[in-house]
Amino acid sequence: MKSKFYFFLMLLFSFSTAISQNRTVTGTVKSAAGEALLGVTVSVKGTETVAVTDAAGNYSIKVPSGNSVLQFSYIGSKTKSVPVENRTEVNVTLTIAASTLNDVVVVGYGTVKRKDLTGSVSSISSKDLKDIPINSAEEALAGKLAGVQVTGSEGSPDAEVQIRVRGGGSITQDNSPLYVVDGIIVDNALSTLSPQDIESIDVLKDASATAIYGARGANGVVIITTKGGHRGKSTITYNGHIGFQKVNRYLDVMNPYDFVLYQYERSRGSSQNEDNFLSTYGTWNDLSLYKQAPFVDWQNQVFGRSAMIQTHNVSISGGGQKTQFNLSLTYNNNDAVMLNSDYNRKLINFRLNHEVSKNFKVGFNVRFDNQIINGSGTSNPGSSGLNFLRQAVRYIPYLSPGQQVANYDPELVDETIGNGLYIVNPLVLINNEYKRQYQTLAGLSGYADYTITRFLSFKTTVGFDYHDYRTDSYDDSLSSNSISNGQGMPIATLEQANRQSFDNSNVFTLTNRRFNGDFNANNTFDLILGQETYEVKKKSSTIIQRFFPNGTTAEKALGNLNLASPPTGISEPSPTSEEDVQRISSFFGRLNYAYKDKYLASLSMRADGSSVFAPGLQWGYFPAASLAWKMSEENFMHNLEPFISNVKLRLNYGEAGNNRINSFLYLTQFNTDKNYYGLQNQLVTAFGSAGLANALLTWESNVSRNVGLDFSLFNNHLQLSLDYYRNKTRNLLVNNPVPTTSGYTSQIQNVGSTSNNGFEAQLGSTLIETKNFSWTANFNISFNKNKVLSLGKQTSFIVSSGWAGSANPADYIIKVGAPVGSMYGLVNDGFYTVDDFNYDASTQTYTLKDKVVNDKSVTGLDPQPGIIKYKDLNGDGIVDYNTDATIIGNANPDFFGGLNQQFTYKNFDLSVFVNFQYGNDIYDANKIEFGSGYTPNANLLAIENNRWKTIDANGNVVTDPTQLTALNKNATLWRPLTTGSSWYPQSYGVEDGSFLRLNNITFGYTLPNQLTKKAGVQRFRAYVTLNNLAVLTNYSGYDPEVNTRRSTPMTPGVDFSAYPRSTSYIFGVNVTF
Amino acid sequence: MKIKSFSYSLIAITVLITGMQLSSCKKYLDLNPISSFGPETVFGTVENAQKAVLGAYQEMTGDQGYGIRISMYFPYDNDVMMGAGGHGDNDRRDIGRYNLTAGNAQLYRPFNQLYEGVERSNQCIKYIPKMDLYNNGTPSQKAELRRLYGEALTLRAQYYFELVRNWGDVPAQWEPSADQPDLFLKKTDRDTIYDHILNDLKTAEDLVPWRSGVAALGDAQDERITKGAVKGVRAKIALFRGGYSLRKDNKMERGSNYLDYYNIADQECKDIIESGEHALDPSFRDLWQNQVDAHQIDPYGEIIFQVAMAGATSATDSKLGKFDGPNGSLIILPTYFYEFDSVDTRRQVTIAPFKINKDNTLTPQPISGLYDGKFRRNWISNPDVDISNQAQNFSLNWPILRYSDVLLMYAEAENEINNGPTASAVDAFQKVRARAFAGHTNQMGTPPTDKAGFFDAIVRERALEFGGEGIRKYDLIRWNLLATKLAETKQNLDKMANMEAPYDTLPAKMYYYPNTDAKGYIDWASSFYHPAPAFTPPGAESVTWISSNVNQGNFAYYAEGFKENHSELFPIPQQSIDANPNLTQDYGY
Repeated sequence: MKSKFYFFLMLLFSFSTAISQNRTVTGTVKSAAGEALLGVTVSVKGTETVAVTDAAGNYSIKVPSGNSVLQFSYIGSKTKSVPVENRTEVNVTLTIAASTLNDVVVVGYGTVKRKDLTGSVSSISSKDLKDIPINSAEEALAGKLAGVQVTGSEGSPDAEVQIRVRGGGSITQDNSPLYVVDGIIVDNALSTLSPQDIESIDVLKDASATAIYGARGANGVVIITTKGGHRGKSTITYNGHIGFQKVNRYLDVMNPYDFVLYQYERSRGSSQNEDNFLSTYGTWNDLSLYKQAPFVDWQNQVFGRSAMIQTHNVSISGGGQKTQFNLSLTYNNNDAVMLNSDYNRKLINFRLNHEVSKNFKVGFNVRFDNQIINGSGTSNPGSSGLNFLRQAVRYIPYLSPGQQVANYDPELVDETIGNGLYIVNPLVLINNEYKRQYQTLAGLSGYADYTITRFLSFKTTVGFDYHDYRTDSYDDSLSSNSISNGQGMPIATLEQANRQSFDNSNVFTLTNRRFNGDFNANNTFDLILGQETYEVKKKSSTIIQRFFPNGTTAEKALGNLNLASPPTGISEPSPTSEEDVQRISSFFGRLNYAYKDKYLASLSMRADGSSVFAPGLQWGYFPAASLAWKMSEENFMHNLEPFISNVKLRLNYGEAGNNRINSFLYLTQFNTDKNYYGLQNQLVTAFGSAGLANALLTWESNVSRNVGLDFSLFNNHLQLSLDYYRNKTRNLLVNNPVPTTSGYTSQIQNVGSTSNNGFEAQLGSTLIETKNFSWTANFNISFNKNKVLSLGKQTSFIVSSGWAGSANPADYIIKVGAPVGSMYGLVNDGFYTVDDFNYDASTQTYTLKDKVVNDKSVTGLDPQPGIIKYKDLNGDGIVDYNTDATIIGNANPDFFGGLNQQFTYKNFDLSVFVNFQYGNDIYDANKIEFGSGYTPNANLLAIENNRWKTIDANGNVVTDPTQLTALNKNATLWRPLTTGSSWYPQSYGVEDGSFLRLNNITFGYTLPNQLTKKAGVQRFRAYVTLNNLAVLTNYSGYDPEVNTRRSTPMTPGVDFSAYPRSTSYIFGVNVTF
Repeated sequence: MKIKSFSYSLIAITVLITGMQLSSCKKYLDLNPISSFGPETVFGTVENAQKAVLGAYQEMTGDQGYGIRISMYFPYDNDVMMGAGGHGDNDRRDIGRYNLTAGNAQLYRPFNQLYEGVERSNQCIKYIPKMDLYNNGTPSQKAELRRLYGEALTLRAQYYFELVRNWGDVPAQWEPSADQPDLFLKKTDRDTIYDHILNDLKTAEDLVPWRSGVAALGDAQDERITKGAVKGVRAKIALFRGGYSLRKDNKMERGSNYLDYYNIADQECKDIIESGEHALDPSFRDLWQNQVDAHQIDPYGEIIFQVAMAGATSATDSKLGKFDGPNGSLIILPTYFYEFDSVDTRRQVTIAPFKINKDNTLTPQPISGLYDGKFRRNWISNPDVDISNQAQNFSLNWPILRYSDVLLMYAEAENEINNGPTASAVDAFQKVRARAFAGHTNQMGTPPTDKAGFFDAIVRERALEFGGEGIRKYDLIRWNLLATKLAETKQNLDKMANMEAPYDTLPAKMYYYPNTDAKGYIDWASSFYHPAPAFTPPGAESVTWISSNVNQGNFAYYAEGFKENHSELFPIPQQSIDANPNLTQDYGY
């Protein structure tokens, strides 16, 4: 209570003019560990004089004559009072408990101290971000927050990172949380901010906390506060690092001899293939020559370089009593490990706060972000022919005499072109696929905060975000796009998109905190009432120009689109464009009540109107309530101090909403998108139905129940937060299949429900703290179980991740009782062995024995020894995809979390961060494709050397049962399939994706203050960092953190053609002037 | 300070109140679409209504429509050709091999797309007659809107016809889905559907102008439907309504009133013939090489109804000339080659016995490697197509109805109704043959005069006339001859392999002169009808022709899974069954 008193004292009086001052006192404030503390508020007790320490912990304050007392207050520490006496230098050491109880947590439209929090909120501050010198703020969150799952999709510098708060309730719609930056709703905010600019991130997890955001709060709310200025001496800070990235794992592929041996085996039995083999590779006796052929590792050729990365960040921060500012400039430049690709980003963040008068404050914030990403990457939402990695894995692993590494072999393209799956030299292809993505973001926001009376204040916040995307691509004559759509002539594509959002909120805050009297001392009320409007405008356009003259460079083509000249009778595709506006209008209120600071209650209500629903159904109402009981404030608990210093029990209930659907789905609409009819060989624009209207669409609502317990033990040295929750999403907005005889395959409907139930624990502790040595550790772990409870009239539907093309059966299922992310397919049962057959020696044929399951309807092959075998689940003796496919995997982890440990010894600091995930499955589509023999003359994974073989040592096809058995006594895999069913979903592709990642090790040294001071440097720290040093996993692919088929949220965890991940080796400095 | 603070609070309150007014204002949330259009706009002008009807046409195009699946996967195997070679793959080959399961991935999307066509047609059928201009427009607006309405009715009929002849009884709805109270429909009896669309087409006949009348509306002579197409489609559907089909009790049956429908077909064909609006192109080769493969609208109107394809996209174009034709995937049965008379000009067009090489020269194929030839890439012109071009789409149109089909349907209907060929039936029949035997009409012979004989002649003539046009399998089904003919063809293949009569005098190899005109035919140096000469003609090379393995290789799998009273229809795609519990799977699937 005392600290609160001071807090308000400061708030009320600190801004008024100081009175008579006589002398100046200076000093340094340090932590018990000896670290200089920045931002400690130093005040003269009983006056309004305030100073703040700088980065070296120094302060300077005018003190009136007499017995003054200085008060030092700092987040995370108890306020310390020190009599000045006659000293002119007062140095202070503050004990900073690992306790975060006094940390201010940003909740919707206000802040609250963590100890007074009633909802579940996970927070991370700049302290936790500083050691991770990477460019993505999203990645920095991985493993840091209980209940927040962060999944990188692949290893490319622009890889999408998926953030899920407590699972995510939607099935077909977007499950990403709502992002609020400095009070303004910003889409995908984390990807547009530099980690260096973030002061804190608070994630509101349960609906009692998110309900105040009503609309779109159902998936959690991530509140980001950027760094602001501070009073006192201006500081200039430079943070920079430089290093390189290197891929740490490749897929093993066959060496030249094994490759040719397999091609030999593959070609037997068809005279045409045998002839082709002979003309390409020679006779059986020539095969041994390939043992000498040097192995060309195409993955290493493409991804093998050490890619330089560098980041430079300069920030200037300072201000006076009335105005504070922070200007931060960041420059990132990464060469990506893949050839021809890099990433460049420039960011500016400027924040200004100004006191117009003691009751009136204004602030202004500008963000600017410009990114350029070069390179087409490895993964593509299209099916396998459009995905790059296969070229680096499957290309012929040797060079014929005289061939250069970047050799183009047109015959190989021809021989393998079937279904667009041709094999082409990856180095040649990289140069044929030009792609450059530009992103520019400008964000402007401002607020005005006016204290009208002692109990009433008003704040208005306005934000405008402008986001511009442009992607230029150029597919030269050897790219798949040019071959299949451009008659072998280059194709240029220009995609442009623009997104503007406008957000305005107006909030009244009423409080009795500044009143005296018994009642007010025991009863605290905070009431907010507010209103918000939010508008998003989106525009996009695409121009595709085909038929550029061969030899045109990408830059020339993209700069001169009219260079394209289609052959007679063929027209260019029409340009397309789209525009859309969505609006939300909201009213909300929240009452926080505390009785004797012991019993806390929070009630909130929000009404949201959304333009995506039909008039009459636009409004959704989202109530929430939470109660907290600070048991430790009860008398009976006081005996337990300091063993138990804080115990708080929280109970929460709330509803939040979701409206993430496209506009006007409630109206019968027609559009011209992709609608053409080719009269007289010219496409004529046509109208087509835009979708099956659903006039009844309304809000999806997420009901969450949460019980939480917060402990502080051993004098705040150990803090533990436990939360158990049950979330249920009702009226799900689902893109639900409808009978296709309606002319539509699906319709967005409010049907069905899902649940997410889970448990989270967050543990923070200061294990050792002495003058020279400290050791702190933070650990968190989260368990979540997702389940589909209902799908309306249906009980299940299947979904295809699409990597293998439209003819391949679906590999995921949405099913009542199962989680979203259930993998679906046949159960692998090894392969047929000789024992499964009756052998007729006269005809040399094998016929399946009675009662041995026949899977011909899947493989299209009459079973033979060595052919893949699947399980016949319904026991009818026949493997049939429709009846024998089942759930074969679950992409959701059982639990995940992280452990961060920080050590300091004198001026040395070390942090070690590991994160982990357990129990999730990965659908390793790479293994399925790269292990199949579908494409002739394509290399295979080395694991296929353990296949069932049919060729003896003399190159003869073996049919004799005894010989065949002997030849294959060590075989572990079937004969690679060559038929259209090679890529059927099956359990062989499902692997355990559990991992423990040694995510980051940072070792730093801060030069002694006395030394640097002479050079005018307040603080100088140098460090080395190793990022993604090692991954402990049984997963056989590049990396178990992967998610490449993201066009629908229903197919998570597919590893197909993902960009390999790399380890970063970085050296950096932090300098404060 | 007091005044200042008061004024601030005034400002604040004003801002708040303005904000609240703004947001509470109903208009703030009521937006109008920018990149899409409501029915009031789409069916507000003639031009837009025309675009909506083109949208209904579009569902015939592309990979899931007549671009490849319906035109080149569904109609095989039959007694003249086979689909893509090889045995079952639980994919397209299993359509040809009659090994279908409900999960076959090639059925689902075409099934859906046909229904998308129904839905788009339904929207046009609902809205066009309600347009203000439909009743109150200028005479030319009214005439154009009537044409559009008639086109929509015809398109819906075509979509349902395609659904019914492949799947039998299917759900049918005649309203746009947004107006349909329950989308979970049961199957509707095919006869009900046929009767409905026959009525619709009757209505459409009076709305759509003849081919010669479109200019008066200001319309181009293009691929859009004219009265000839409406009547021709109606005639064809009537023949299917009066023909056999596989019923739910797993029997091939036709209604006792089938002659009523032959009468409809008879009358419609007669109308077309008597109108003089359509005629045969005098040259069978010209029709394909210089019209269809040259991207031209034929000047004779022989192609009465065709699907217009263009744009080189999988949604709007066709793979004609890529998936079929030389170097393609469809296979001509060796026995079909010898169904043609030696002077029948259709053989050289319908059958391309060669591969096209990189340099655009031709390499003859053995009889077991013949391709269909109506859509052949060395004939594609305007623009030409290079063989090394890996493009998949050549913008070739798919003819649905030709005038020769009308003539032969007429002959068939006359014969059936009158218990024997009438003079006009014989005349129609002979017109088709005369064009085929151009230059050798003296060898075309006279048709049988008895009903059964004349019917058999028509069965044979339709095989010769329409090879590779996706017509044969369905003709055989409506005649209930599919099982018979498939079995007969298997026997004939065996006979040919064993060189038994009538295949006992055929050559084991064929001689040819290499390096002939790439746009033309192979210059053969020996006869198809006599044993190969004992010596090599000077300058000639040879290719294997008939051999003992003409029933091997691909042909070993010919229609291998066919089961009578089962395989005549497709299973309903599994996803459709899953999405609609009211939909039943019948015919033993």
